[in-house]
Amino acid sequence: MKIQLYQIVVVAISAIMLFTGIKEFISREAGQTYLKLAVRIIVWGGMALVAIYPDFTKLLARIIGIEGNINAVILTGFIFIFLIIFKLLSAIEKIEQNISELTRKDALENTGKQFDKKDGNSGLS
Amino acid sequence: MNSNIFIVVPAFNESEVIQQVISEIQNFGNYHIIVVDDGSHDGTFKVVSGNPGVIALRHKINRGKGAATKTGIIAANKLGADIIVTMDGDGQHDPDDIKSLIKPIIHDGYDVVLGTRVFATVQIPFIKIIANKIGNFVTWLLYGLLVSDSQSGLRAYSRYAAHIIDTKADKYEYDSKVIREIKNNRLKFTEVPIKVRYTDYSMTKPQKQGFVNGVKTVVRMIWDMLV
Repeated sequence: MKIQLYQIVVVAISAIMLFTGIKEFISREAGQTYLKLAVRIIVWGGMALVAIYPDFTKLLARIIGIEGNINAVILTGFIFIFLIIFKLLSAIEKIEQNISELTRKDALENTGKQFDKKDGNSGLS
Repeated sequence: MNSNIFIVVPAFNESEVIQQVISEIQNFGNYHIIVVDDGSHDGTFKVVSGNPGVIALRHKINRGKGAATKTGIIAANKLGADIIVTMDGDGQHDPDDIKSLIKPIIHDGYDVVLGTRVFATVQIPFIKIIANKIGNFVTWLLYGLLVSDSQSGLRAYSRYAAHIIDTKADKYEYDSKVIREIKNNRLKFTEVPIKVRYTDYSMTKPQKQGFVNGVKTVVRMIWDMLV
């Protein structure tokens, strides 16, 4: 079987995403669950599978009812766009979290002083 | 023990009812009250800060109920809370239920007590009951723990649970993410029935978890599984 460039690229990207996901799971980072790992393996593993065995798409095409190799072009485009959107949404989520952290830090600044004042203490935090 | 019980109330545009919420809590016990104004633009913070017995915190921009709750919990932790009770700021929760929420923590060593709304006692739209059931199912599906009311905001946490629960959820998915934290950290939890007061005011608020917000919440929960 002759290996195509897109197969290398898709498998490489999928491998990186799978490696990252497995590494986060093993190191027990916040929010990691078995189900999350399974979903990641199915999504990114599925992409790698289609890249390595493109004939798998013929099976899918037979099931869905689409004929011709146009689906190969559509699939490639879809993967590319999906990856871009995925990275963008990840970046946005990170930014949202940072904004929340900053907002929280600002809100918590005078907590101690309010508490001392409320309990009739000197007001020094 | 009373002196170290904190009631955390996240509030967004609740100037009409927040004073009543605060007064009711004060009538039911000598609790420390922390109200977190989540970027309201209707004068909620002004109403809250007018209460000398209340710690008023303010998010300069709206970040979501989950973010405001987390800010209140962090503040309570910093102030040495033994027990933290979270309560919605729209008057739906009855402060009379606080005692039954904190009792399992004080007497039986529970880490988290979830308030379970008894829908049968009030007339509410059937769709809301269905939405609650869907929320419970989705929470179980994604996080592996089936509870009776995964979306209730009236909950109590021990000092240990309040410190160990860590979620980055800012919006309505916060309530479900706490369920995940309970499971992941093997926290000892129980459920107690609570009263629910649906008023015309609370039912017509635009930012409530209606159908659209409910769908967005589920999407966010699923997205978190992928990222």
